[in-house]
Amino acid sequence: MDKCIACGACTKKCPGKKPDEYNEGIISRKAIYVPYPQAVPLKYAIDPEICLYLQKGKCGTCKKVCPTGAINYDDKEEQVTLKVGSVIVTAGFKAFNPAKLDQYQHGTLPNVVTSLEFERYLSAGGPTAGHIKRPSDGKEPRKIAWLQCVGSRDINKCDNEYCSSVCCMYAIKEAVIAREHLGKDCRPAIFFMDLRSHGKEFEKYYNRAKADGVRFIRSRVHSITEIDQSGTLDLRYVTESGDIMNETFDMVVLSIGMEAPDSIMDLAGTLGIELNQYHFVKTDDLSPVATSKPGIYVAGVAQGCKDIPQSVMEASAAACSAGISLARARGSLVREKIFPPEKQITGQEPRIGVFVCNCGVNIGGIADVPAVVEYAKTLPGVTYAEENLFSCSQDTQDKMVEVIREQNLNRVVVAACTPRTHEPLFQETLRNANLNPYLFEMANIRNQCTWVHSDNKEIATRKAKNLVSMSVSRARLLEAVPALSVNVDKSALVVGGGVAGMTAALSLANQGFPATIVEKTEELGGAARDIHKTWQGQDVQKFLKDLISKVENHPDINVMINAEITGASGFVGNFETMIAAGGNTSIVRHGATIIATGGQASETDEYLLGKNPNVTRWHDLEHNPDKLKKAESVVFIQCVGSRDEKRPYCSRICCTASIKQAILAKDLNPGADVYVLYRDIRTFGDREVLYKEARNKGVIFIRYSLENKPVVQEVEGGLEVLVFDPVLQKKLAIQADLVNLATAIVPHDNEKLASLYKLSMNEDKFFMEAHAKLRPVDFATDGLFLCGLAHYPKPIEENIAQAMAAASRAATILSKPSIQVSPLVSQINAEKCIGCGLCVSICPFGAIELEEIEGKGKRAKNISASCKGCGLCASSCPQKAIDMLHFRDEQIVAAVIAAA
Amino acid sequence: MNKNNPAGSVLVIGGGITGMQSAIDLAESGFYVYLVEETSAIGGKMAQLDKTFPTNDCAM
Amino acid sequence: MAEFEPKIVAFLCNWCAYAGADLAGVSRMQYPSNLRTVRVMCSGRVDPAFVVKALKEGCDGVLVAG
Repeated sequence: MDKCIACGACTKKCPGKKPDEYNEGIISRKAIYVPYPQAVPLKYAIDPEICLYLQKGKCGTCKKVCPTGAINYDDKEEQVTLKVGSVIVTAGFKAFNPAKLDQYQHGTLPNVVTSLEFERYLSAGGPTAGHIKRPSDGKEPRKIAWLQCVGSRDINKCDNEYCSSVCCMYAIKEAVIAREHLGKDCRPAIFFMDLRSHGKEFEKYYNRAKADGVRFIRSRVHSITEIDQSGTLDLRYVTESGDIMNETFDMVVLSIGMEAPDSIMDLAGTLGIELNQYHFVKTDDLSPVATSKPGIYVAGVAQGCKDIPQSVMEASAAACSAGISLARARGSLVREKIFPPEKQITGQEPRIGVFVCNCGVNIGGIADVPAVVEYAKTLPGVTYAEENLFSCSQDTQDKMVEVIREQNLNRVVVAACTPRTHEPLFQETLRNANLNPYLFEMANIRNQCTWVHSDNKEIATRKAKNLVSMSVSRARLLEAVPALSVNVDKSALVVGGGVAGMTAALSLANQGFPATIVEKTEELGGAARDIHKTWQGQDVQKFLKDLISKVENHPDINVMINAEITGASGFVGNFETMIAAGGNTSIVRHGATIIATGGQASETDEYLLGKNPNVTRWHDLEHNPDKLKKAESVVFIQCVGSRDEKRPYCSRICCTASIKQAILAKDLNPGADVYVLYRDIRTFGDREVLYKEARNKGVIFIRYSLENKPVVQEVEGGLEVLVFDPVLQKKLAIQADLVNLATAIVPHDNEKLASLYKLSMNEDKFFMEAHAKLRPVDFATDGLFLCGLAHYPKPIEENIAQAMAAASRAATILSKPSIQVSPLVSQINAEKCIGCGLCVSICPFGAIELEEIEGKGKRAKNISASCKGCGLCASSCPQKAIDMLHFRDEQIVAAVIAAA
Repeated sequence: MNKNNPAGSVLVIGGGITGMQSAIDLAESGFYVYLVEETSAIGGKMAQLDKTFPTNDCAM
Repeated sequence: MAEFEPKIVAFLCNWCAYAGADLAGVSRMQYPSNLRTVRVMCSGRVDPAFVVKALKEGCDGVLVAG
């Protein structure tokens, strides 16, 4: 594996063929293959099932053509015993196979494809290079239908009663992207039961899709048939009001759900962990990533259906749990690499060494490498040039160190593949040769030259020379860039003392990192004080009491109540926050900051709330079970202040909460009439079982629309709720003893905190994470993390997981005495700066601040630890007072001049 | 495993987006990680996706 | 007269467009050889002055991708 240079010579000649799993079998792959071009590690592997040599002892072509001798047919599976302190199960999922559902005819009708197959059709790297073509005749489809809940929310045909949580959103995404690909003529339609866009920014995405011409049809699909030779399909479906309809489509996409992978049974058996009835790993709501066995944790879809951000949060939460259980052993098995001291080169004339790689035949077979070497020798500053068969091989690396020392080189250019994969390797070589790693430059003469001009050797050679010349020009001006490290204060500040804040603080303190909790009210607990049970029935108040007691008694946690943050400065590892509490202001120093300011149920004057005592909201009823017990008729109204113009987001937790209470009402008084007036029922994941239970117990669900909201009025003897029933197609008048409103969940006022720590918020005033999918608890500025309702409404189990995730992310900083940050940062010349502040406002990372210089006014100042090196400031500075280390204006321009 | 003297290493089973994130957090906070993946590349199901909602960012 | 062969300088963001250019190579896509890539850490690094400079030095086109 170490010898493979991923040139692909083997796969080209390989005679074996098999449906390509990565492309869902739409095309085939070879027996020796990489799953996809961006694969990590980028190493070709042999599929023994179809390899002719391994099966029959014939062929052996790949071994013959491999330029590096990387093929080893004798490699065998081996048993390895590892000693580990903890295990994290992230086994993922298996996509539902719709073949067993005969109404969809997948596998029979060519134009019925799964959503995962459609992803591959959309992908530029897919079998059709991103051109959507229907499989039957290769024509561009115009009308495409998505059918939701294939393999989800279905107990009649497939036993998956849960909701897969992600299909509504990915179907909308596929429809939107398909329309981008195919143009305005493309008419996508999504056939669904309940549209579940319950995540952050999802509802807006759904609204945009509607406005952009994606049709949403609330229905049940009956059957699909082919109507002609070309493969056009007829879709027969039943509308909400019971009408049977037909419509033709060019293509039908099945939005397939997720299932536990087959291997999970064996794995669970081996590990001794319990699974739930759907074969997902069993957890409980109050310890969301702990399996039934101590020391073994679970994250992602292996635990239950969820989207990517939630999976990533749980991944960090599981890491946090493992970190707590192994805190004593931290650092015991990792070692830091030590390099020889760096030589000073400042003021020396450039002595550039150029190493031109043949990469076997990848470069050498196309470009004239000896000619490139000779050309390099003629360039100013170059004192040494040579060619290598493989510059990246270990023996060449060792030799390169010798050459650098012998030739007294002070800059190195390697002309080979891409710096994106190989720059770190060569930089390490420089460090081994006593040079600063930034005295290195690569010329990309493989990926961006010989591979893309393989049909013309002369042109490839000419371009390779020019690329080397550009790199040498830049190399002449390269300077040593000193490593940048900042010391870390090993403590955290947690803003907010609710479940999220306390969990985050406790998760850090239990790893030995002290935490200060700043709570603005007089007591800990936050929004959880109003919640009695989790959706699976666990006692929240008992949990909260325990949590508060653990926090208050922990020697490493300092709780400040009635406290307010009045000032903040600093950067990753070194924050300073001013806190006013009890008439005093104190300064707390901390290495990481966790924002967990929470949220609350919003107020409303709709539906007579506040005017009639029998109109309540949220947990008012749970606080008064007597009231619920006595009621003969209870109406729950959903989406009160959510999913409307003012708050175009779904509050995520209300459907589950109201249905839970509706079930409680039925349990307390089975004879009572219980109604839930909803817009879409969003009991995502396993919560779907609650919806089923409620219906089985006789809870009546009536859908209403935003244009036709229910009306609550006082009548003699109580309340009357008027609502239009779309199934019966008539207006109903429901006599109600109680009306309970699921009002929107809103964040607390975070404006001041946002401005103190320079944090961004979305339109709904929730804090914005660095990346919606991949960095769901990080802020864009290093060292600041986010969790709980301040991020988005979410149930308690998700709050706990997210808080542990924030603690895990914080621990990646707090666990080191100092952290290395990239030294390729912005550098302000204070002499040229006029203090206009443009750079401060433009920096996405809060890495520049204005500082008052006596007698001069304001001047910009770098916070290098927060700088990501993007260079926005440098290119925007009207005074040209900012330059970027290693990407200085003159260094970039030198390459441009050489190119011209 | 000795509770008072645990090993400073963690086995992560599955190299999809979840497993990779667990591994990164642990490695960055001082633990040795064994990331086990059954196929020949890490990346999991997310690598098969074209774009991701709600930002339409490229999944790769 | 030989056909006009424009010289094009491309400022490519390391994290996306540059990676894309690498992938074109991995996929062995063939394209004209007129492009010269200058790698930057973000397309935000590209000062309008660089574009002017490139044109002044004799480039016929400038591509910024990120």
